Parts: sequence; C-alpha cells; structure tokens
Amino acid sequence: MMTAPQARPAVSPVVASASAPKPAPLLDVRGLTISYGNARGTLRAASDVGFAIRPGEVMGLVGESGSGKSTIAMAILDLLGGGGRVDSGEILFDGTDLRKLPASERRALRGDRIAAVFQDPFTSLNPALTVGRQIAEPLIQHKGLSPRQAAVRVEDLLAEVGIRDPRRVAAAYPHELSGGMQQRALIATALGCEPKLLILDEPTTALDVTVEARIIELLAKLCDSHKLSALFVSHNLGIVNRICQTVTVLYGGVVVETGATGRVLSRPAHPYAKGLVAALPRITADRRHRLPSIPGTVAKLSGSPAACVFAPRCPFAEETCRSRPQAMLTDGDGDGVRCWKADALAGTPWPDEEATGLRRPRTGETAETRSAPLVEVDHLRKIYGASRSILPWLRRAGTVAVEDVSFTIGRGEVVGVVGESGSGKSTIGRALLALTEPSAGTVLFDGADLTQQVKRGDQTLRRRAQLVFQNSAASLNPRKTVGAAMDRPLVLAGRADAEERRKTIAGLLTRVGLPAAYADRFPHELSGGERQRVNIARALATDPDFVVCDEAVSALDVSVQANILNLLAELRDEMGLSYLFITHDIAVVSHIADRVLVVYGGTICEEGPIGRVLRPPYHPYTEALLSAVPRLAGDGPEAPRILLEDAATAPGGRGCAFAARCPRKLGAVCDEQAPPVHETADGHRIACHIPLATLAERAAVFPELADADALPR
Amino acid sequence: MLAYTLTRLVYLALVLAVMSVLVFLVTQAMPGDVASMIAGQFASKEVVDAIAVKLGLDQPLIVQYGHWAAGILRGDLGRSLVLEQPIAPILLEALGRSLVLAVVALAVVAVVGIGLGVLAAVRRGKLTDQLVSGVSYLGIAVPDFFWAIVLVLVFGSYLKLLPTGGYAPITDGFLPWASHLVLPVVTLVLMLLARIARLTRSSMIDVLQTNYVKFARAKGMPESVVILRHALKNALLPTITVLAIDFGLILGGVVVIETIFSYPGMGRLLLFAIQRHDLPLIQATILIVSAAYCLANLTADLLYAFVNPKIRHGMRAS
Repeated sequence: MMTAPQARPAVSPVVASASAPKPAPLLDVRGLTISYGNARGTLRAASDVGFAIRPGEVMGLVGESGSGKSTIAMAILDLLGGGGRVDSGEILFDGTDLRKLPASERRALRGDRIAAVFQDPFTSLNPALTVGRQIAEPLIQHKGLSPRQAAVRVEDLLAEVGIRDPRRVAAAYPHELSGGMQQRALIATALGCEPKLLILDEPTTALDVTVEARIIELLAKLCDSHKLSALFVSHNLGIVNRICQTVTVLYGGVVVETGATGRVLSRPAHPYAKGLVAALPRITADRRHRLPSIPGTVAKLSGSPAACVFAPRCPFAEETCRSRPQAMLTDGDGDGVRCWKADALAGTPWPDEEATGLRRPRTGETAETRSAPLVEVDHLRKIYGASRSILPWLRRAGTVAVEDVSFTIGRGEVVGVVGESGSGKSTIGRALLALTEPSAGTVLFDGADLTQQVKRGDQTLRRRAQLVFQNSAASLNPRKTVGAAMDRPLVLAGRADAEERRKTIAGLLTRVGLPAAYADRFPHELSGGERQRVNIARALATDPDFVVCDEAVSALDVSVQANILNLLAELRDEMGLSYLFITHDIAVVSHIADRVLVVYGGTICEEGPIGRVLRPPYHPYTEALLSAVPRLAGDGPEAPRILLEDAATAPGGRGCAFAARCPRKLGAVCDEQAPPVHETADGHRIACHIPLATLAERAAVFPELADADALPR
Repeated sequence: MLAYTLTRLVYLALVLAVMSVLVFLVTQAMPGDVASMIAGQFASKEVVDAIAVKLGLDQPLIVQYGHWAAGILRGDLGRSLVLEQPIAPILLEALGRSLVLAVVALAVVAVVGIGLGVLAAVRRGKLTDQLVSGVSYLGIAVPDFFWAIVLVLVFGSYLKLLPTGGYAPITDGFLPWASHLVLPVVTLVLMLLARIARLTRSSMIDVLQTNYVKFARAKGMPESVVILRHALKNALLPTITVLAIDFGLILGGVVVIETIFSYPGMGRLLLFAIQRHDLPLIQATILIVSAAYCLANLTADLLYAFVNPKIRHGMRAS
C-alpha cells in the first residue's frame, strides 16, 4: 500500500511552502482513488492521485487511453456517472473539500466557479437549441440575469472568443457552425460566469490541426487575461507543451511524474515519460530510423497496485519494481517522480531497440518506379449528392469532394495524403480501391481500369489492393473470431484447402507480431493496437501489392502508434508493398511516406518528395500546416505560428480552394482563376498564384532539418 | 420547408393513385357478382344483366376505373349499393367518430407513455424502471380484445359505471359522449402505451448519454432542466413517428375494438361493407383509410422537422 507520506506529490502546500513562498493552490487533489464497478467486478481508474494547481496556472494532465485522466476531470466536476465512484481522497477547491459538499452545492459551483470544455464540440452543443440560448443558460442560472441581459452578455462573450459576427452566431443552431466556431462557443459558455478554474478535457482533439492551433492560442490568451487556472487533460504532448506551465503524467491511474512542463518534456525522469516522449513522431527526426516504441499494453487494475504499474512494460525494470508499489520521490521544486531508479536513470534515454539498425536500403525500385507506376490517377473528380429529378426543386448540383486530382504511386512507394476533414483525402483513397465510382477521370491499377473491372464483376485486381481503416474495433465483426475474419478473404481468393488456410492465417498473424493463437480470439479480447495488427494481417491475406491506410494509426495512443508505423514500414521494406497513407498528421506521414500530397478542398496544393515538402518553397497551406505542428521543449525553437482564419464557407468555385483562408492571398486572381502549377526538376509541385521564387524566400519552419534528409530517397 | 412539403404532397398523390388502382382491382377480384347479389338469389339472368348494365359493370375494367376515379376527383365517392345512399356523408360520419377516438386515445398515450418512458429512463435499472417495463409489457403481451372484454365485464356488467358499447354524439351532452368513449379509449391506450413508453425510454437513455447532456450538467443546470429542455426534445423524435403511425392506425379503424364496443367508426363501416359485398363502399372506405394513413405520416415528418432544426434547415436548403 502506498501510505508513505511522500506518496503525495511535492506540489502539496506543505512541501511547496518550505522551498518558496508560493500561493496556496486553487485546486488541490489528494489521494484521489476512483473505481468503476459493475456486475463483473471493479476496475480501479485512479489510485491515490494527487496534484495541485495554483491560481493562474495551467496544469497538463497527460496519459494514454485508460490512464484515468478524463475520469479524474469528471470526478472534480462530480459528473462521474456510469458506475464510477470516488472511494477516497480529497478534492480541495479554494480550501473547501468538494467531496464534503452536498450534490446541490457542487452543481451550483459547476458552470459558475468551475467551468468545463469537453473534447468534441460537434456533439457538446444541443442540436435543438440555438447557440446563444445555450451560452446564456449558466448566466441565467448562476448569475440571475434576465434572458434579455444574458443575450447582451452572450454577444460580448462571443466577440471575446474571436467570433466576428456574434449576433448571427448567437441566433444560429449548432449545425450551422464549423467545428472551430462550435468550440469557441463552448469556450464562451465556460467563460460566462467568470470561473476561477477551467476543466479542459481534450478540447482540441477533434479539431483540424490549423483550427486546433487557433483554439490553443485563444485558450492561452484567455487564461492569461482572466488569470484563470486550468486543468488541461490531453494525450498530446505538443499541445501540453504550448499551454501548460506544469504537467502531471498518469499511467494506469497512477501519477508517475509531475513537474514543470519544460523539464518533464525535455528531461523526463520516469521511464514511462521517457518512452512517451521518445515515441512521438517528429518531423525533424531521421526518418531512416524506426520510431522508438513502448512494448505491451496498459494493465487493468482491480485494486491498489501491488507493484510498479509500469514494470511489465519497463525496459529498466528489476525484481524490486515487480514486488512492491513505488512511492512518489519529490524534490523541493515541485517535481516528483514515482520511480526508485529515477536518479540512477537520469541520463539514460529510452532504449531504441534498433538504434543502429537503419531501415534496409531499398534497392532497384527507383528505376522501376519511373518506368511503370502501380497506380495512376488521372484527372479524378468526385461529386457527392448530385441528383436529377423530375421535380425541379429536387435537382441538385452536388458537393465536389475531389476536383481534378492527378498523381501516380510507384511500386514499393509510400505516398502520403495530408489534409483536414473535408479535404477529400478519404474519397481519393476510396476511388483508388474502386469503392466509389469517380464522377470523371480514371484510376489505372497496374495499367488496367480498376473501376471498370470491378463493374464487370472481375475481382482479381481488387484482391491486389486492400484497405486498413482508422477505427480498429469497428472494422472487425464482433461476432467473428480473428481467424474467421481473416479466413474470408482467403476463401474468396479461391484457397480451398482449410488446413492450408489455417497455416496461412497463423503465418500472417506471426508476420504482424501477434501470437498465432490469436486466431481463436474475438476482437473485444484484443487491445486497440492488437486489433489494428489484425486488420493489417487481414489486408495482407490476399497478398496485395497496394494498401490504402486511411488514418490507420490516428486513433491509437502514441506508444502504440509508433509500433504500428514501424510494422507498416517493415512490411513495405520486406514485401515491397505500396501504400497510400492518408492522415491529418503531417508528422506521422513524414515518418513513413516517400512522397506527400497536401490536399485542400479536394485539390492537390502541393506534391513532392517528403524532404522537399518539409522545406521551402512551401504552399501557403503547407506552411500553415507545418507551423501548427506542436513541438516539445528541447526539440528546437518554435517557429512563428501562422494562424488561419476559421473557414467561413466551404471551398469551391473557380479559384484556388484555399483562397478564403490563405494568409498570403494576392487578391481577386486567387478567387477567380485556378492556380498555376509550379514544378521543379525533382518532382516538387506547388499550385499557387504566388511565383515560386517568392514562395522560396520564406524561412524554413524546421530550419534544423538536415540537408541530407532533404534529398529524395 | 415549403419545397419539402410540396415534394411530400406529390409523393402522397402518387401513392394514392397507385392505391386507387390496387383497391379497384382487388375488389373486382373478390368472389361474388355484385349484380346478382343486388338482384337477389332467384332473379333471372335478364334482370341480373339489366342491373349490370345499369351499374356499368358490362364495360371494360379500365373504363369502369376511369368513371370511378373521375368521380372521386370530383368529390363524388359513389352510392352505396346496400344502403342506397351517397357514400360521402356515411364515410365522413364514421371518419369523424374514428377521429374522436384517435385524438383522445393518442393524447392519453402520448402524455402517459412519454411520461412513463422518461421516468423509466431517468430511474434506469431502479424499481420504477422495472415497474414501468413490467406493466407496459403486460399491456403489449395480452391481446387487445382480452382487455376489452375484461373492461366490459368489470365496468359495464359488474360495476355498471359505464356503457359497454355504442356511441352518443356530443349534441346529446358531454357526459353521455364521454362515457361511451372511456372503455374503447382505455383499451386502445393499453394496447399502444407499452410501445411508446419503451421507445421513449430507450431513446431518452441514448440522449442522456450524449455529450450535450453532459455539457448541460457541467454548466450546472438543474436536473429538471437537463431532462426536460436538453434531453426530451431530442429524445422525442422516434416517438413522434410511432405516434403518427398509431394515429393513422386508429383513424383507419380498429375493427376488433370497434366491434366489441359497437363503436360506429371506420373499422365497423369497412367490416359492414365487406360482409354485404357493397363494392363502392369498400373501395371508398379503403381509399379514405389509405389517405388518412399517408396524411398522418406526412404530419409526423413535418413535426419531426419542427422539432429537429437540422432537418428544418436541410429542407430550406433544398
């Protein structure tokens, strides 16, 4: 049992006052233990969690899925629900233990003194009520304003969160606003009663990168100007680095490290924190290396931990780690780490299992790539929702998802597609697999028109092109075992011998790093990373040449994501697979792709070898995208961020798709004429009205990128 | 919204046109010959033929249909062969009585069913929830005629509190009118309540788990506001659809209940027409029942749009 007095983090007031006269914390969480109970037993979501947030301070609470970070935030709000229960501990807010207050008083605090913003703005606003009414509610409830007074205040609040047309937005229903606008409205709601503490639960996770950058900027500004304290729950270390002064790292419901953000992220002391920081894909890293990853999965606890929670996955673990729980070791500055070896490991980095093993040099492919591309996309165009009808008011022109896109994918080549939601990136992937019929243009696969073949009922080519989706759980039938799910494509491919199929499945599972016995398991018995391995194994079952990975690692935790990226890179090297790697995360794509397409509004705005795209000249959108990539302390200087306006209208029309949001827009020409394509000798193409020479004058977003790395591999 | 309503009305007209053809054909295919039925068992062939010519039965089907359909478009539903009266007033009277039954029964079902559903959802898993589920199951599992008979026995025969059947027009006074309605309404409510309560419960449970409900709570809204303002409006969408279908169902006649309580609504009229082989009456009744059903559904969709601003705006855009 962790009853040692030092089990509390160093930031508790007793220790803090000993070192420096710091103000008393606004929020002081002590020994918080939370469990979820159901008929099958109890699950410990948080064990003896402690941290403190001082007035005006933003604290990051980071951890992967299942670490208990959101549970803790909900416990502070008294909104646990779903069988969740606080077993013990104190939640001191302004000196009062919230747990001792009756439910009605806690409710009165919510939205007034303690306000919250949640992850998904798209679902956090009630679709049936106007935005203004929803922002006004707490003002009327807590401050006793009349609806008329509240309406005036609502417009002020909307203006403060950067909405230019507050009156219109207040009268609008949520679905009429973009995601960024919705999140601004939620932030306005939270600010309404001038709270002292904000609980921000992954407030930007569901947003596009460029929108995220703006919301983070806004939150940082508001916390500063309103002297707000905030608990910032996030899995994204880069974002935490931007906005938080202190950070608390959770693993398996236990605080493993706490301290100043700069120190924790640049010199993590706990092995888990080391692994987490190392596994983060970085644009500036040498891409020929494998990403360091953390093996294994998070263990679920049913009671107090009897050993170090991280020991099963820790490369530094010894017998002592596995036999007794760890106490929090603290110093006077408010830093704490729950690892008895922390001092001994101070200079030791997270081990890179193949630190010396560069990816295999890829030979002989370049020439082949040039001679005969595997996939040729020519003037692809896709319109959704167009309809012809005898009733004139039902005729619709439809929405353009992809507008005149042409590119090729060579054999053994990985082409990344980067873009935000609605950019048409998934539609491109679906068109390549003949899952959607192009409205115009052709897709040639190995020289043949795949769409026409599939239409004729010929599935042979389709077997050579496979798909891995984002949602690993939803892409597996919950009632079929892993083996049965993988058997199906083999049967369809005409493999009649059941015994032989069984062997193939075992081989494929081994190939993706899973035990062959997993064939008898059901999807719910696997972790997210394991399920994604099964999806990859299934995609490989028909021995394809080409795999479309549609956000295949986006839903995974950082440590698992690194694992899967390494696996995909290995398979590419060994089996000569080609990928179309669709993602919103340019850091991820920079790790695996040879070439990148940057798409916006259904058009390709920049295309080229990854090393070229990451360096100037940039398309203005690429530049904004790169500058929005969050960086960790110690990774080099932060580039000046280019903040884009929220999209006011959907892209479309005759001009450049990006014109409405472009910070470097020239003028009417951008709205009226399609941009010319500048092309350089090494296959770098930029579609922009700005001359290439002018684009090249911009400073590099990542000046530390090695020159050698910039050359196409 | 206007464009949407227009579109739906066009579809409605198409459905009714197709329906009229089907009704016409099916009634032609029914066993028995109208002319000989009218002429009676012992009539000579000449008499039967004369009647057939008089009714236009000797003409090709398509011509007969043309005459009939043209009449309907003019508002002339034809004459009942058995009652020897114009059909329209008879039908309207029966429809009015069914409408009264439908409106009263649906109002009770909506209020009680939605109330119970919300209660069960809020107290999910607790005794209230189980009680609501249990009782509503009993209502749905036991056939409606059983409840009807039980009610007739208890309130009519033993307690002698209520009339066991028939109908009194409201011109006879409110009490006689209402007392004749009580038993059929209660039977209908027992029949329909369970579905509405259970549907409301499950969609309410879904809505209570949404992020916007969580956010409303995080804003410190009292639970009553969270449930009534934030959750209920969104949870009612599926319930509205089912209520509208039920409305069409009652309006179209609930034969068993109307028969047991001798309630002279659409159901009894249709039954009468079929038993007497009154072809024009059958055709007109079925057509009106279909139209009532379609209109009820249209009303549901428009209500749906009214409750859900997303749909409302989508329509404006179209």
